[in-house]
Amino acid sequence: MIEPLLKISHVNKHFGGNIAVSDVSFAVEEQQIFGLIGPNGAGKTTLFNCITGFYPVTSGDVIFDNRKINNLRPDAVCRLGMARTWQRVKPLSSLSVLENVMIGAFSITRSLTEAREKAQEQLTQVGLSDYATQLAGSLSIGLKKKLELARVLATKPKMLLLDEICGGLNHTETDTLLQIIRDVRKQGTTIVFIEHDMKAVTSICDHIVVLNSGVKLAEGTPAEITRNQEVIAAYLGGGYHA
Amino acid sequence: MKQLIIVALLAALAAAIPSLLGENPYIIGLLISVLMMAALSSAWNIIGGFAGQYSFGHAAYFGAGAYTTMILISSWNVNPLAGMVAGIAIAAVIALITGSIVFGLRGHYFALASIAVAEIIRLSVLNFEFTGGAQGILLANVTLWGLDLNSKDPFYYGMLLLLVVTLAVTIWLRKSKTGYYLQAIREDQDAASSLGINLARYKNRSLLLSAALTSVAGSLYSVYIRFIDTSAVLDLRLSIEIILTAIIGGVGTLWGPVLGAILLVPLAEMLRSNVIGDSLVKLGIVSETSALGVFLSENLAHAHVLVYGIITVLCILYMPKGILGLFRRIK
Repeated sequence: MIEPLLKISHVNKHFGGNIAVSDVSFAVEEQQIFGLIGPNGAGKTTLFNCITGFYPVTSGDVIFDNRKINNLRPDAVCRLGMARTWQRVKPLSSLSVLENVMIGAFSITRSLTEAREKAQEQLTQVGLSDYATQLAGSLSIGLKKKLELARVLATKPKMLLLDEICGGLNHTETDTLLQIIRDVRKQGTTIVFIEHDMKAVTSICDHIVVLNSGVKLAEGTPAEITRNQEVIAAYLGGGYHA
Repeated sequence: MKQLIIVALLAALAAAIPSLLGENPYIIGLLISVLMMAALSSAWNIIGGFAGQYSFGHAAYFGAGAYTTMILISSWNVNPLAGMVAGIAIAAVIALITGSIVFGLRGHYFALASIAVAEIIRLSVLNFEFTGGAQGILLANVTLWGLDLNSKDPFYYGMLLLLVVTLAVTIWLRKSKTGYYLQAIREDQDAASSLGINLARYKNRSLLLSAALTSVAGSLYSVYIRFIDTSAVLDLRLSIEIILTAIIGGVGTLWGPVLGAILLVPLAEMLRSNVIGDSLVKLGIVSETSALGVFLSENLAHAHVLVYGIITVLCILYMPKGILGLFRRIK
């Protein structure tokens, strides 16, 4: 049996008396597109922060690529091959779009020329090459989301954690982004996907975990999740039809 | 590469100035001050401008260079260049200790800690015996390889060389992984960290580089003046002047700190020697015996820090990217 690429076991995260994540376990197989959904405040982003080293977990284990990464700093987690994007985009505003992506590429090379080449490739892949010399801060939100994606892809991650990458985008933009994500998976990257847009989630994910108030509510294929009565009550609302 | 050639050409021009001036110690002295402030402000720019970590205590590194060199020369008659190297080592130790304590923290702790460390060092030096305490250290004469260092010219070239090296480091940084990483840290620490950047390591690196260059300026200055005390080389005022020069010229740019020094150091000197007050009188704008004339001749000389302050406020309000930012987009 092949070990999963990412294994979360009995993870708890408390902020003082506030329990943000409670005893959550799941496993992400290699090359899956894995969805993490739930209402606002369910603990999705907190869990991302725990996995990527931004928050220490209160208890439980995070195993990535057969290595326990609970106590690693975010930069070390990134260098092991796990990269993330941010729900609220974090462009390096006074640097150009190309330079933003080069900074991602520097995690795999020291050379300026090589970083520039890799960055250009990545910009082409997400369709940002026309904006290469613009300041990152001047982009629209849709393009900033693409820039986030290009920048983390430049680190050549084994696993990509996307925090509401489609949030605030229109249908066309969402569709382009989902297509890019499918391509990225084809190239061998595993993807964990926090998303609110149920259409996006059900169309792209192989496997879904539903969080509610910090607790795992359900787990299964998109079809199973959209039929699950508890999920419908807690999150999708009575009138949801898949 | 283009930038490096421009620096080399300007340096060659600057190197010709002393022979063109002939015997004019006042102007050479002023130019040495300009070169020194340009070098100090450019060195500060490496941590403040690139990494966005505002150090308010760079006088500590300047003083480390100055005191280490002077103590070694006066007590053991050490070669001044060896004193300079020892100064770099001491400054590096101070930088590493400061950095390892505060760079693990987010927010403005570094700015606060840098003031605290500089003040601790200033007060210690003031109260220790081996540092000369409040009296400071005075040297009658200094020689290097049998050469008498009483002339000003060697220090002019020394400061010029230091400035060129500092600018070369800046140019290299702008085209290197380290430089890009520092800029990423300045722009957004969470983003930087999630892209694989070890925040503390890169901040420490840039502080170390900045501190080493700053201490060299301190060593040169101490041997040039041959007298140091805490108010000359460890004062908070010096730290502030270094920052203001960078802010007014243009933080994070190559030429901003140099431009700031070229404008501000002569301005401060004019205020100090009361050139401005005197010329207002000479031009007949203000009468020497009038209340305003008396007030200006008595007080304007002490006002250079006030004038710096006013210029800084105007800068922040009307040209937040400094004088250089007025002319072109910060790159």
